[in-house]
Amino acid sequence: MVEVRLENVTKKFGRVVALRDINLRFRDGKFTVVLGPSGSGKSTLLYLIAGIYKPTRGRIYFDDKDVTNLPPNKRNVGLVFQNYALYPHMTVYENIAFPLKLRKTPQRKIDEKVHEVAKLLHIEELLDRYPHQLSGGQQQRVALARALVKEPAVLLLDEPLSNLDALLRVKIRAELKKLQEQLGITAIYVTHDQAEAMALADEIIVIHRGVIQQKAPPKKIYEEPANLFVAGFIGNPPTNLLKARLVDGAIELGGSRITIPARLPRDGYIVVGFRPEHASVDAEPLENHASIPGEVYVVEDMGKEKILTIIIGGEMVKVIAPPTAEFKPGDKVYVNIPYRRIMLFDPETGARIEA
Amino acid sequence: MNPLQRLRARRREREEPLIDVETIPRRRLTIVLAIAVGLASLPMLITYILLILTSFSNTAGMLTISDLAHYVPTIQPWIDFLEGKVEPTAGHLYTTMEILGIILNTLIVAAGVSIVVVLTSTMAGYAFSRIRFRGRKALMQLVMILHAFPGVALIIAVYALYVWSLAALPPSAWNTYAFIYVILSRASLEIPMSIWLMKGFFDKIPWEVEWAAIVDGASRIRVWREIVLPLVKPGIAALSIFAFLAGWEDFIYVWVFLKPRDIYTLATFIEEQVRNLETAYFPVVAAAGTLYLIPTIIFFITTQHLLLETYAGGMKA
Repeated sequence: MVEVRLENVTKKFGRVVALRDINLRFRDGKFTVVLGPSGSGKSTLLYLIAGIYKPTRGRIYFDDKDVTNLPPNKRNVGLVFQNYALYPHMTVYENIAFPLKLRKTPQRKIDEKVHEVAKLLHIEELLDRYPHQLSGGQQQRVALARALVKEPAVLLLDEPLSNLDALLRVKIRAELKKLQEQLGITAIYVTHDQAEAMALADEIIVIHRGVIQQKAPPKKIYEEPANLFVAGFIGNPPTNLLKARLVDGAIELGGSRITIPARLPRDGYIVVGFRPEHASVDAEPLENHASIPGEVYVVEDMGKEKILTIIIGGEMVKVIAPPTAEFKPGDKVYVNIPYRRIMLFDPETGARIEA
Repeated sequence: MNPLQRLRARRREREEPLIDVETIPRRRLTIVLAIAVGLASLPMLITYILLILTSFSNTAGMLTISDLAHYVPTIQPWIDFLEGKVEPTAGHLYTTMEILGIILNTLIVAAGVSIVVVLTSTMAGYAFSRIRFRGRKALMQLVMILHAFPGVALIIAVYALYVWSLAALPPSAWNTYAFIYVILSRASLEIPMSIWLMKGFFDKIPWEVEWAAIVDGASRIRVWREIVLPLVKPGIAALSIFAFLAGWEDFIYVWVFLKPRDIYTLATFIEEQVRNLETAYFPVVAAAGTLYLIPTIIFFITTQHLLLETYAGGMKA
């Protein structure tokens, strides 16, 4: 188990800058999730750590050892791919044994270890099969077993669950978290799925256009997003973001004026953000809340909750209401947001303004 | 619904099984196509059957359908052929060793073409599939154009080069050189298409599979040998067979470069025998022709199963 450190790492592909001046520390024995939309550079980051790509500038360390110029086969990393990348012409047993065979491990030891890891991942009865005879979930487990059997210093996972169906994804997600806790291995997991990131991570790194947006534990990412991108990316439905005008230090939104106990510029523009689950929809304004009048546009009944889409001054916001809430399209309502739940952002830089 | 109605309904179902709308015309089309293909290939099929039957007969000319009524099978033409009695009235024109030599020559050319094509096009195909070098696209297009050139069109230049290079060698090496020259020039006609074929096979292997093996601790050479090659095995097999047949069937290059040196393959041998139609003894020539067909028949049976055999699982693209 090691700590992975990147210092001033830049990666270019031709003229395209995939990663720009990255400084990061992946803590030893922790589950770190790198989260970003497609094309954000998150997979590039993973392949840099694996040694498949070499950084254009900067250094990579495993603990105190500089591995920047070390080829992948000398780094002792386990890598799980989105498409599993199993060896199709080998049985499950041969797939898992392959890394050990390359290390010239004695046959008896190989046998022992393959069975051990197969038991851990509940694939013992599949050892004689070929990859094409397995389901997606089973192939995924085999890929994981192959990565774990060599007892890697770091376990790298590149969207390992994206090719599975939704139900299986949630199931394996929990198993993966348990497994990482059991083994205490340093895990770096790349995904575009914010729910996966929230569920698995000890720490989330949000990346966008090759630049780190925020690095924090899930709770902090959720409650205190560093900027507009993080606020808009995390959460389902995502954070409501509304551009508003400042008039004499008060926020003008949807035809009403909100005064917030925070120091704000006297005029200009500001972006107001709040999470759908933090606001409530009522017939009247509430005390200690920012109350914005609006009109119900759509009601989606999800069973455990209702998702209301409300028009505020020409823009749509989503608010989660309890399943018992009785609203219908056309209702005139107030969206009430507790003051402490309101997030403010600078429309120019996107950075959050601390209240 | 009472039991009787249910029974009737079931019977109706059995008589008119439920067929998806779009499968009806397709099935009919299949039948029509099968009949058309069958009819179209009938003349060829009959010719081949007559050829084989002729090689087991003692007619004076080629066997015809009307001869089939009094057909008596005999293996005499095969014995005559292997003993070199190609024109029975003229006695032994060849020795058995010479006949076997002709078969061996054909095998050498075929196997040589096959080996050269497989070695070059697996390597070139891998490079085209995996390495993004400058001018890659232009080179691939050039390869495609090369494939479009007919071999006959190139033969004058190829022959000029041959004569020119021959002068640099001692006459004792000329026979060997002629063989090598035929193999290389025949192979180079096959290589363009083979490169494309192999590139297609390599393209189907995701990069990740190779990366996985490298991360697992394998060297590039080892990845190539233990991961990549086994996955393109069907491609290599198909390729080597096609190239073998191309060498086996080649006439023009063998005729231009080997025949003047008195080196015959089955193709030029058969051509020599049927050239004088008055003296040609057909059953013996038919025996040679049948022998000439055998690899094609064997290989077509084997390639069909090889080309269908592909590994699909464990690597979603």
